[in-house]
Amino acid sequence: MENKAPLSPHIQIYKWHISSLVSISHRITGIINIIAITLVCLLASLLVLGENNYKVIELFLSSQIGKFIILGLTWSFSFQILSEIRHLIMDLGYGFELKTSRITGFIVIFGSIILTVIFYLFGGSFF
Amino acid sequence: MVQINLPENSRIQKGKYFKDKTGSKNLKKVNIYRWDPSSGENPRIDTYEVDMDNCPSKVLDILNKIKNEIDPTLAYRRSCAHGVCGSCAMNMDGKNGLACTTPHEEINGDINIYPLPHLKVKKDLIGDLDGLYKQYQSIEPWLKSNSKSETKEIIQSKEERAKLDGAYECIMCACCSTSCPSYWWNGDKYLGPAVLLQAYRWIIDSRDNERQARLKKVADELKLYRCHTIMNCTSACPKGLNPAKAIAEIKKMLATANI
Repeated sequence: MENKAPLSPHIQIYKWHISSLVSISHRITGIINIIAITLVCLLASLLVLGENNYKVIELFLSSQIGKFIILGLTWSFSFQILSEIRHLIMDLGYGFELKTSRITGFIVIFGSIILTVIFYLFGGSFF
Repeated sequence: MVQINLPENSRIQKGKYFKDKTGSKNLKKVNIYRWDPSSGENPRIDTYEVDMDNCPSKVLDILNKIKNEIDPTLAYRRSCAHGVCGSCAMNMDGKNGLACTTPHEEINGDINIYPLPHLKVKKDLIGDLDGLYKQYQSIEPWLKSNSKSETKEIIQSKEERAKLDGAYECIMCACCSTSCPSYWWNGDKYLGPAVLLQAYRWIIDSRDNERQARLKKVADELKLYRCHTIMNCTSACPKGLNPAKAIAEIKKMLATANI
């Protein structure tokens, strides 16, 4: 007999909660960060080729899109750092209680926003 | 593999609407996933108007009421109605749980009821759990002791016994496994939270002599390490157990070579 049994709906109906949101965002920001690091390395190597390239990069980064990308990457890296710390603590076997995981999830989300603001506003003066 | 969309034969269609006939003022709309294997049609969502003035407090009571008074063709598993047997595990309001222990008052607005996620549906709210039971069998969930004596008791200290708390209470309702996205995408290889919790239960049992062999068996990229601490399992468990922590403990045992 042909197996025609349908597959019951899954991700379409399942409710999100803090922990699953942080987990999926961790993976997405991870991929974004790998691409971003590669691009930054490429931009850096462009500088070796001459002064004109610097002007092009600066022009791009000071445009609206450039600023949005910088802000987005700042958040993505901030989120990744905090979320990674959360996962490291979990790898040690701590923070698995529902309440704790919810609190650490909130810390990761709000912390990443705060870190983004700090890095964006004051990051320039560190270097 | 990750497949976000449902296959062609699983797309959900609009179903029938059962209007209330009791004339009650306190109505609640209940949307239920229906699929009839003999019809050859796609699954559909039927909507029932249920009189809440004459309905006990749990979601299972609503289903019983619908089956008894509105539509006898509705199929779902149930048995004990006290959260002990795990038969009535289903997805209510986007979260897995036992229909018999989930109060419908906690659900705001319409009540949406689906079978457990990402299973082959047998009929209506009944999902096919064969794969999960096969995996359960694969971890050999029974005591393996070197003890030759069949009459002498194997002594266990209170501390050793306490380790089993939070693991032995599992009723294998599959709420956790079917809530896990990793299990959705890799259910054929990844053991899933329910089975891993049971694997853990036998690994830490002081009376069992096959601890190393058991650990070696689950120490596999796909069987164990597909757990990414999403925590859907722990938040779904109707018995308040913590499969995510059990999986982390297994990983820890393997990482620290505490075998």
